[in-house]
Amino acid sequence: MSSPVFLAFDTATSACSVAILRDGEVLAHCFAEMARGQSEALPPMIAEALAQSGLSFREITALAVTVGPGAFTGLRIGLATARAMALAADLPAIGVSTTEAIAEGVGQDERAGRNLLVAVESKREDVFAQAFGTDLRPLGEIVSVRPEDAFALAPAPALLCGDAAARLPEAPEGWLRATGSGLPDALHVARVAARHWAEGRTRPAEPLYLRAPDVNLPKGAA
Amino acid sequence: MRILGIETSCDETAAAVVDGEGKILSNVVLSQLDEHRLYGGVVPEIAARSHLDHIDRLVAEAMREAGLGFSELDAVAATGGPGLIGGVIVGVMTGKAIALVHDKPFLAVNHLEGHALTARLTHQLAFPYLLLLVSGGHCQLLLVEGVGRYRRLGATIDDAAGEAFDKVAKMLDLGYPGGPAVERAARDGRPQAFTLPRPMKGRPGCDFSFSGLKTAVRQALDGLGREATPQDKADIALAFQEAVADSIANRSRNAMRMARDLRPETCKLVVAGGVAANSFLRARLGETAAKNGFELIAPPLNLCTDNAAMIAWAGLERFRLGQRDSLDFAPRPRWPLDPEAAKLRGAGVKA
Repeated sequence: MSSPVFLAFDTATSACSVAILRDGEVLAHCFAEMARGQSEALPPMIAEALAQSGLSFREITALAVTVGPGAFTGLRIGLATARAMALAADLPAIGVSTTEAIAEGVGQDERAGRNLLVAVESKREDVFAQAFGTDLRPLGEIVSVRPEDAFALAPAPALLCGDAAARLPEAPEGWLRATGSGLPDALHVARVAARHWAEGRTRPAEPLYLRAPDVNLPKGAA
Repeated sequence: MRILGIETSCDETAAAVVDGEGKILSNVVLSQLDEHRLYGGVVPEIAARSHLDHIDRLVAEAMREAGLGFSELDAVAATGGPGLIGGVIVGVMTGKAIALVHDKPFLAVNHLEGHALTARLTHQLAFPYLLLLVSGGHCQLLLVEGVGRYRRLGATIDDAAGEAFDKVAKMLDLGYPGGPAVERAARDGRPQAFTLPRPMKGRPGCDFSFSGLKTAVRQALDGLGREATPQDKADIALAFQEAVADSIANRSRNAMRMARDLRPETCKLVVAGGVAANSFLRARLGETAAKNGFELIAPPLNLCTDNAAMIAWAGLERFRLGQRDSLDFAPRPRWPLDPEAAKLRGAGVKA
């Protein structure tokens, strides 16, 4: 059997990216920072990545997409695309959490011997956060926490990353802040998906909002 | 020719396949009514989440019912606006993704154009004709002169008609959605038990206004000086329904005259949108149309309310004219059919 090929994309935060990966080899990679406009940018970027790789949908083994946490609209842009492509191309769609994708993107040198805390922007007072061990295995679930309480999720020595890292107060003893933007990148989404695929423990392409919709109940309603 | 249509702009998730002869090969609609009922109206974030949860399954169902594979489609059309943007985005991305995978043309359809062209799908109507669009989000009168050629003759300056039904139903504690609830209650109403104003009646032009009528209902309720009985509610519901129908009929009469001035051959009045389901309104419009030498055309109910067959059809009409949209199309929360028309306040602001 030939090696699996993964087409991954991400629009969960303030970026838009697409990557195609085969056996750890990057066949195509596009990345652009953007606060909005992913619904316009993503489909042409996927077409561009396919053209770069010289592949068609028939040669893709599986799709991979960030499922959250992140901006609700951004999540839906990626997920609606992935789910419709899965249907139209008859492919599996693998979900990857935003925190795992960001953790995957932190350089090995930088995180050597340290636990990792990923903080993702929630557009509310809290941040979404998840801690990982030195082997990148999660130390707990993804949670919504007040910025000042996030450090408690990972024992020092630890490294802080993610697009909400700057919202955390001054780091306690034994902590460092990662360099880099802290934005997820489809390249890392593809790497995580490839690993989960190989281990036979993929997550479905279903949204991970981690917060109920904001609604006001009318007066008198239960 | 076969086109897949996708509709996700409000609280119906829908997919349909229509062919070049105007045959509806499939038409599946999932209403989110139950998810929003508790809130007395559509909650945008709940709607967007629900669209994502269901649209891929509904598209699969529409394709299966049509007995087609994606490669057999000629194009993919999705509502590109106007509407609740979170939902519109889900439908647009779904349409773009399918178009990209199978290398098919993509069409972003104006939701209102879907309503406007439905009568050509159901009645093979020729241009021009007058369209009365009355729904929960829209209330306007348009002269439809061709695909992409619309002249807005009038529109609401505050609430949409369906919105007024919802608000009055809430005041009378009749439940949600308000249209069917008010109509049901009005069946037991006694004529002339209450008198409500006919908004805009007698004024030139054909703009609508429903917010004063809503206030009048509130005052009628307060004027009772006691808790409203079921009979009071039925009487007020009937009075409200009559006032709305009278007002819309009067505005439509002016619009028929305006349409004749612009295009003398205009002789059909098409009614579309969820409020067109109200049989009292339909009857009143039928009389007014006949009096003015017009024929009232009312597409079947399931094609009057939001659906994807109308999106597929509007896409097909545009596709036949050689129109295409790029995969970088930006979903539009606001998208007037007649960009020349003056900007409006209230519900008309988006369209």
